Amino acid sequence: MKKRNLYVLELIIGIIIISIAGILINNLIINLIRTNMGLSYSWLMQPAGFAISEYLIPFKPSDNYSFALIVGWINSLRVIVFGLILSTFLGLFAGISMTSKNLILSNIAKLYIGLIRQVPLLIQLMFWYFVVFLGLSEKPHDFLWSLGNISNKGFQLLGIKLSVEYCALLIGLSVYSGASIAEVIRGGIKSVSQGQWEAFRSLGLTETIGLRRVIIPQALPAIVPGITSQYLNLAKNSTLAIAIGYADIYAISDTTITQTGRAIEGFSILLISFLLLNLVISKAMERVNTAVNHYKK
Amino acid sequence: MKKLETISRYIKRNFASSKLDLTINTFLLFIIWSFLVKIIYWIRFNAEWDIVTKNFPLYLFGSYPKAELWRPTLWISVIITLIIVTLSCPRKNNYTKLLPIIWILIVPLGIFLLAGGIGITPVASTDWGGITLTLCLTLSSGLLSLPLGILLAIGRQSNLFAIRKFCKLYIEFMRAMPLIAVLFFGQLLIPIFLPMGLEINRVMRAVLAFSLFTASYIAEDIRGGLQAIPNTQNEAAAALGLDSIQTFQLIIMPQAIKISLPALTNQAIGLLQNTSLMSILGLVEIFGISRSLLANPNFIGKYLEGYVWLACIYWLICTLMALLSKNLESKLNTDNI
Repeated sequence: MKKRNLYVLELIIGIIIISIAGILINNLIINLIRTNMGLSYSWLMQPAGFAISEYLIPFKPSDNYSFALIVGWINSLRVIVFGLILSTFLGLFAGISMTSKNLILSNIAKLYIGLIRQVPLLIQLMFWYFVVFLGLSEKPHDFLWSLGNISNKGFQLLGIKLSVEYCALLIGLSVYSGASIAEVIRGGIKSVSQGQWEAFRSLGLTETIGLRRVIIPQALPAIVPGITSQYLNLAKNSTLAIAIGYADIYAISDTTITQTGRAIEGFSILLISFLLLNLVISKAMERVNTAVNHYKK
Repeated sequence: MKKLETISRYIKRNFASSKLDLTINTFLLFIIWSFLVKIIYWIRFNAEWDIVTKNFPLYLFGSYPKAELWRPTLWISVIITLIIVTLSCPRKNNYTKLLPIIWILIVPLGIFLLAGGIGITPVASTDWGGITLTLCLTLSSGLLSLPLGILLAIGRQSNLFAIRKFCKLYIEFMRAMPLIAVLFFGQLLIPIFLPMGLEINRVMRAVLAFSLFTASYIAEDIRGGLQAIPNTQNEAAAALGLDSIQTFQLIIMPQAIKISLPALTNQAIGLLQNTSLMSILGLVEIFGISRSLLANPNFIGKYLEGYVWLACIYWLICTLMALLSKNLESKLNTDNI
């Protein structure tokens, strides 16, 4: 009797969900017929007609929409990949610094995390773009014995040119995600019992070697799942590029949809691409996770 | 003399325990010093805060009609009073139980005060703005997404295949999408899915999209809490003769929410921070206001002042929220009574 009670409830919820979905789909079809749009992906092959400020493979406005989306994807991946690397280093450094006995170092790390995590990423991106990078002088400023230079037009090192938008997005994302990763790493290090620290010290290992060979390998199983979700967040947050005018996949989808009016089709493409990206990141991190847990045994 | 020795030993232990530490610290102190000098110099001589001082009402209320300003003011003061009451009220008190209900009532009160209607002049949602709109967006999407998230979490554990799959699919799809995309398509797609006559305004569309997004994250947090509860609780409840709905409502859910409270706080803080994305879609909440102010020729180039001021506001509100949640956690903590 009691079990049946629950089933009835679930059945009612199920019927409600299905009927709401039915109503929504019905409205969708009515509205699609009314606006005479229908669903079609043929616009993907039409010329895009807009220019993209930044590309790795050459793009002209006469190229089609699908090519524009690919260019956007490459731009996104460029930020995401380097953002992952940079934020990992930053997070590792700040996370370890927080557990350090050196009071100045650990307090600076705490200040960094407390400040960065309580301020929206969008404001930070705006800050990096408008205040830091556009605030640079117009005249290129040489560094590293003139191997590279930096100005408010862009950054150049050994012939590689990076735009200001790219630099601002990369730095802003990495600094923001670095703070969250640092928290994850600190939590992982704290989860290793104090006895392990005392044990390696009594064996006469130095702090650096002890941390690298004893503490971190044991902390990694607790760290990897947390870092995975931070990586996924970084990938999703990279779409804020639109606020500072960097042509990533979302910015280009946005332009495409405004031009063609194909919201549902554009949305489905974006959804599938992000599902794929999430899948790639989480599968890769799953590998890392098994490797890390294997080490523990 | 002895005191001096203790101090020097303290310094030696904490700041210069090895040569490496000493070098790092000298370097860090040098950097901190040069930064401090620059910051103080900037605040003292270069910063011009007229972008803040001249537009203070705009930051608070946006372009809300001047004659009706008492309404958002009243609402914000009610919220502030409530925060103070929540933080200061003792743990064991009969009135403490009323607090959650009052917090829930804050949202309809705010919407009524802002929108007007019965008895007071209606104000269009396009005139809402500033911190008032930020708070309104945060609170109302929080209130909508919490029950939705709980429903999704329950649905994900359902015995019925269709419900379980639907909830899982929904949660995974939503969590895969970037928020800005969900908001943008919310503005575009929600009208397509609605019947012809029905139209809802921009703010409501934003709140709806926002809640649909946040609910998927809340669902995962609650699921974590549900999984942390041992099966013995179920058995104990069954032994007491509670049926499955009662068990869930009285035994499982309260414990699950208590466990997932820290995660839910993070979601709430994230929610507040994410309302800044609405400015990209044209709502003039506090970040939208400062974007339009920075585009104003009178305040051109005042980026640093504008953003420092905004960062301070967000930092303050987020810290307050974290404080509130710590307070709530300690009030809910029944472990050592």
